[in-house]
Amino acid sequence: MASGSISGVKSIGLRAGSIGLLLLLWWAGSRLMDDPEILPGPVAISLTIGADLAHMGPDGNSAFLHIGLTLTRIIVAFAASMLAGTGIGLAMGLSAALESALLIVIPLMLTMPTILMVFLAVMWFGFSEAGGLIAVMAVVTPYVAVNIFEGTKAMDKSLAEMGVVFKARRSLLIRKVYLPQLMPYIFSAFRYAFGMTWKIVALAETFGLKYGIGYMFFFWFGQFNMTQTLAWIVIFVVMMLVLEHGVFARLEGRAFAWRTSPAS
Amino acid sequence: MSHVAMERVAKPGAVSFPAVTVTNLTKKFPAPGAESSFTVLDAISLSADEGEFVSIVGPSGCGKSTLLNIIAGIESYESGSVTVAPCASKADSEPRIGYVFQSPRLLNWLTVQANIQFVLEAQNIPRPKWQELVSKYLDMVGLQGQERNYPLNLSGGMQQRVAIARALAIEPDILLMDEPFSHLDAITARKMRFDLMDILAKAGSTILFVTHDLAEAVFLSDRIYMMNTKPARIFKEVPVDISRPRRPEDSKILDLEKTLVRDFFSVLEAKN
Repeated sequence: MASGSISGVKSIGLRAGSIGLLLLLWWAGSRLMDDPEILPGPVAISLTIGADLAHMGPDGNSAFLHIGLTLTRIIVAFAASMLAGTGIGLAMGLSAALESALLIVIPLMLTMPTILMVFLAVMWFGFSEAGGLIAVMAVVTPYVAVNIFEGTKAMDKSLAEMGVVFKARRSLLIRKVYLPQLMPYIFSAFRYAFGMTWKIVALAETFGLKYGIGYMFFFWFGQFNMTQTLAWIVIFVVMMLVLEHGVFARLEGRAFAWRTSPAS
Repeated sequence: MSHVAMERVAKPGAVSFPAVTVTNLTKKFPAPGAESSFTVLDAISLSADEGEFVSIVGPSGCGKSTLLNIIAGIESYESGSVTVAPCASKADSEPRIGYVFQSPRLLNWLTVQANIQFVLEAQNIPRPKWQELVSKYLDMVGLQGQERNYPLNLSGGMQQRVAIARALAIEPDILLMDEPFSHLDAITARKMRFDLMDILAKAGSTILFVTHDLAEAVFLSDRIYMMNTKPARIFKEVPVDISRPRRPEDSKILDLEKTLVRDFFSVLEAKN
């Protein structure tokens, strides 16, 4: 997949190298700047992260409370948008009427700037969990639906015909013929939806919520504490990278083994 | 349309049962923007006995594939009848129909073995029998050891062999083949025709084989129906009384092919 013709070891080396380079640039920049109030170096940030994780933070809440809440919000909003989007996309693939109706509405939703959606959701639903969830769903669901819908259109009808000729029941067709053809579309929707979800959750937390990593950005930003603001950004980014590459990339590699597997 | 009664070489010791009987089958497609409809198949009658290899030869677009699809039960028709009889030993069960398409139509995300298990599951064949059926028919098509491989790692010819094994694995009452070698290169196709003869001798299946290639039909068949287009009718039924094993260069085969080519052109010219 992502590695293409580059071998596994080489690709790990490349990734480690590019992260190393980024850290080096950051370190050099902070040395040149020589002002920890504006750009603290990687070492200072690491130490701050360590201290934040070990001690209670502002309002007497631990860092893990914020991290846990943010993760929960991301997972709930992501699952809800994926389910809703997949359902709508499949329904559009099955019903021509629904297809023509939604193909007018969905582009409208997709052109809405994300930040406006967050503001609207907060104005309508207040500073609540529901506001954040609805903001994510409003942005992510249409995208997922369009992707899945395209997957239904791209299906190879001759394979379904083969299944019907051999008298496969609907459930068998769905499991072995339809779903596998949708997988690439589901995964691409999955990745994009996840990326969108965590950005919107962070935004909603920053503007409207009292707990979570986004709230911590906002809190430390209010104190003009650059070290802490950056520390929380790093916590967030590392968490998302681990999820994205550690979980999704692995799942994807498994699901598409048939494309690259060598002859036995 | 009347049919000349056929004299066929009876297989020694076997009583033949019709595995498929098609009587006066007519199929129409509504013509776009017209009151009348376009006749795809016009009063087609044919039959294939148990264990017989029957070909239907005709030009492209004469409705041969439509005919197979009707027999397979995935397309409707206006009048006439189609009967697929389960073979005598299991007369009270639903007839089983195997189908080999022009392209392999394999599920590329499943292993070779899982592709075959897919149709076994579709046909409600009990799971404990799967392993035996899979290896028996993969051996028969010469793909032993490829069970866990994926179709995309196989050549086009090997993929079509998997498709043949898949169709045979359900031990069909009738095996429908729709120009199964037309997508292969000439050398692979030739090898596949030879091997198909061996495979079918072992499997003992009844075949209805559609092709536009007269040489192929003569080489493979016990009997040939020749079809014309506009209207799509069967205009000739030809027995192929040439002993097996056959060679494509055998003079009897070449002579019969020449005769049939002449017949085809005289019918085509008579129309123009």
